[in-house]
Amino acid sequence: MSSELVRNFCIIAHIDHGKSTLADRLIQKCGGVAEREFRDQILDSMDIERERGITIKSNSVTLLYNAKDGKQYQLNLIDTPGHVDFSHEVRRSLMSCDGALILVDASQGVEAQTLANLYVAMEYNLTLLPIINKIDLPAADIDRIREEIDSDLGLDPFEAVPVSAKLGTGIDELLEAIVKKLPPPVGDPEAPLKALIFDAQYDSYRGVVALVRVRDGEIAAGQRIRLMHTDKEYEVEEVGLLQLKRVKTKELVAGAVGYVIANIKTIRDIAMGDTITDADRPATEPLPGYKEAKPVVFSSIYPISTDEYEGLAKALEKLALNDPAIIYEKDSSSALGFGFRCGFLGLLHLDVVQERLEREYGLALLLSAPSVRYRVTLESGEVLLVDNPSLYPDVSRIARTEEPFIKASIMMPERYLGPIMELCRERRGEKSTFHYLAQGRVELTSELPLAEVLFDFYDRLKTLTQGYGSFDYQLLDYRETKIAKVDILVNGEKVDALSQLVHEDKARLRAMHYCEKLAETIPRQQFRIAIQGAIGAKIIARTTINAFRKDVTAKCYGGDITRKRKLLEKQKEGKKRMKMVGSVEIPQAAFIAVLKSDES
Amino acid sequence: MSPEAGLYVHVPFCEALCPYCDFAVNLATEVRRSRYVGLLLTEISLRGRPGDPFDTLYFGGGTPSLLPVSDIRRIVETLSDLGWLRPRSRVFLEANPEDVSEASLAGFREAGVSTLSLGVQSLDPESLRFLGRGHTRDEAARAIALSCQAGFETVSVDLIYGLPGQTEERLRKDLEAAFALGPDHFSCYQLTVHEKTLFGRRKREGRLEEASNAAQAALFRLTHQVLESAGYEAYEVSNFARSPEHRSRHNQKYWIHAPYLGLGPGAHSFDGRSRAWNERSFFDWERRVRRGEIPVAGREELGDEELLLETLMLRLRTREGLDLDDVEKRFGVDLLDLNRALIDKGIEDALLVREGSWIRPTLEGLAVADGLAGSFRLSPDPWKAARL
Repeated sequence: MSSELVRNFCIIAHIDHGKSTLADRLIQKCGGVAEREFRDQILDSMDIERERGITIKSNSVTLLYNAKDGKQYQLNLIDTPGHVDFSHEVRRSLMSCDGALILVDASQGVEAQTLANLYVAMEYNLTLLPIINKIDLPAADIDRIREEIDSDLGLDPFEAVPVSAKLGTGIDELLEAIVKKLPPPVGDPEAPLKALIFDAQYDSYRGVVALVRVRDGEIAAGQRIRLMHTDKEYEVEEVGLLQLKRVKTKELVAGAVGYVIANIKTIRDIAMGDTITDADRPATEPLPGYKEAKPVVFSSIYPISTDEYEGLAKALEKLALNDPAIIYEKDSSSALGFGFRCGFLGLLHLDVVQERLEREYGLALLLSAPSVRYRVTLESGEVLLVDNPSLYPDVSRIARTEEPFIKASIMMPERYLGPIMELCRERRGEKSTFHYLAQGRVELTSELPLAEVLFDFYDRLKTLTQGYGSFDYQLLDYRETKIAKVDILVNGEKVDALSQLVHEDKARLRAMHYCEKLAETIPRQQFRIAIQGAIGAKIIARTTINAFRKDVTAKCYGGDITRKRKLLEKQKEGKKRMKMVGSVEIPQAAFIAVLKSDES
Repeated sequence: MSPEAGLYVHVPFCEALCPYCDFAVNLATEVRRSRYVGLLLTEISLRGRPGDPFDTLYFGGGTPSLLPVSDIRRIVETLSDLGWLRPRSRVFLEANPEDVSEASLAGFREAGVSTLSLGVQSLDPESLRFLGRGHTRDEAARAIALSCQAGFETVSVDLIYGLPGQTEERLRKDLEAAFALGPDHFSCYQLTVHEKTLFGRRKREGRLEEASNAAQAALFRLTHQVLESAGYEAYEVSNFARSPEHRSRHNQKYWIHAPYLGLGPGAHSFDGRSRAWNERSFFDWERRVRRGEIPVAGREELGDEELLLETLMLRLRTREGLDLDDVEKRFGVDLLDLNRALIDKGIEDALLVREGSWIRPTLEGLAVADGLAGSFRLSPDPWKAARL
């Protein structure tokens, strides 16, 4: 097929604006799937994606469309994740496209994520086609949306195609617009092979299935290929198109989007964004786009029951086969036992991983408070990256500590500007500025410490704007900060799993919050229990759980003894689920209450 | 050498059923009472001769004082003739104040009873009414006074405290009235509302509200303070003696894991390794005995861990406490090493004191003995061990 008849495009949308529904409709229209095979939102294949309505792993599909000009076009729809945590994946997806559909909700209008991804699409010179979705909604206001498309996105509002993905309205017009307005790929089929790996799947029989966009040259079975960044060579076993199922083809030529199977054992053997070239006739320069996905949020994961440690280890190993972004290493806590220190792309990524571990592997887990990675310069000049409170060096050795900052972009109706400015100020935001968008909408940008966003920032934003605010961010730089390591002590014993790195100004509040949560959840015992928050030797918060005064049964003679012992045995059984800190029994529920309370 | 064994005889009937009692008791119909002694003697013969004579014989109930004195004498004599008792064995008998008269006391003495335990429960009219007892304050006071003059080695008084709404002042008066009469020993039990009693039903129906934990704790302390200052030493959670020789030689056997044999409905036996219990209903007990069977209804074998837990639970109820060396000898477990943080904390909070190899609970420790016993680690934590 001539590359004239190929269109590679993606859909850019804010969460819930109907991207997956639109994709389903396009697939259905082009006969990509038989009606009975059709499941809603085919591209979101994980349960969690379906339930949350978000796309985490991008998927791709090739559609065959018979256009009104009588020709059959090959439409490669490349799915993109919508959430900021997965911005690397977004970039890679965009890089494999020539055009993008910018989806805007007919009642909600342009939102922060749409804008953020739009800028990226512009960086890669994609041709942009605005789509107004959900025109069937009573609250739809197409004129207002056209105005936003003009002023917020800077696109031609009269190019915008109004559709209702849900009802199928306007889909024919959309398909024609894709063929007419989006450009075919350009590339030199004669040049040395250059193909961008924009995603990969793991197949337990075939190993890694790399999803690629061929820029130049061609790739076919039997060819020796080299991955330019990892500098590893493989022999191609199979190439083909993704038409929901893999459809084997002879080759993939310049402009094509498809898959490559080359006996690559694990996802970790390849790098996303890497360039495939011919081993015998290599390209001189790789394609731009290789950037390591660096975790920014860290947390330790422990199994609630210590004998599930092996299960957790296996589950993480399996999970990592499909999710190269997650990193993990062994960790241990004297209170919680063995676990793993894990790095995530963001809080949502953390959430998704936790949920997959719990749901797909049936594990009950405890996660320590999420932390960012601090850059600590010692007096000796040595620089450490610290994300684990237990590895934070003694203050006396520290010359300087820096923390990561982000540039947050928040879009909302004008009336919420005050409270959100206040929220940013509360969260140590710097250089907050705003500008008006169309029709009473404002975009606020603020430079915030990432750590401040980890704790219920998004929830607060949603509450303060009654759901109308949207948020996006990009990592900015590291800035000097004053960090304290807050320890929680129970009867003078440090509970290592509850230690955290907190900005000095917030230390006392956080410590008090933890102390109070523990006091609520640790049952009274025969001892008085002192709960303290401390920075080093300095106590900054304290609460006390008073001892119960009496529990002894009055009578204990012949027949009472067995009964009494059985009661104690039952109590002891219950205590197996408790963690001993010194002489104090702390139920799992207390850890859960404390660690969960960060989120709400 | 294992401690000498005790023998318990359960007399399972009462004139009236008390609303708080969950023991194996029946109303004392004439028919049951007349058949009881014969059946008990049959059980004795079914059990066969013990290795050594018993050190103590305890008539508990129920209301043993409802038995005609002649029946009590017959049982004691039979046991002596069979070699189950020896001259220095002690005989204990529980009696209700309404059954006490100069004549009955003389009869009990003659039958060989050395310790009389009076089920007074209270000397406060309001409390007696609440507890549904069949005697008045004056009857009870008279019974104590008479018993103290009847020549028993030990006269003990049972009291119940921690009744709903009971103030410290009311309890103090109750205790003072009791010790003024000069008994040698007190058993003071905090009221426990058992599910299958009239009180239990009232509680379920919301018609009875138990005293709060704080109130109970206060009354517990008060009881100990008042009796200790009156010269009665608390040697167990609920037991007080004017001097060591008045401590209950029989009841102490339960707390040191001495063997005991229980006869009669619902009675428990323990041989150092296993515990067995008799049929609880009079009907079932009678049926088994008449068929010529030992009327044991159930039995449990105790492993080391169970014995050790019981040792902790029982020993921490006593002021004498627990000998760590003895535990190490019996079970090969170094409790101190396994529970250093707990023991240190217990000492720091004045719940425990350490004297040589002994750990003894203080008064505050006695009050939370159950929690303490349950907190001890009995075996090395396999998890901890794996980490080393």
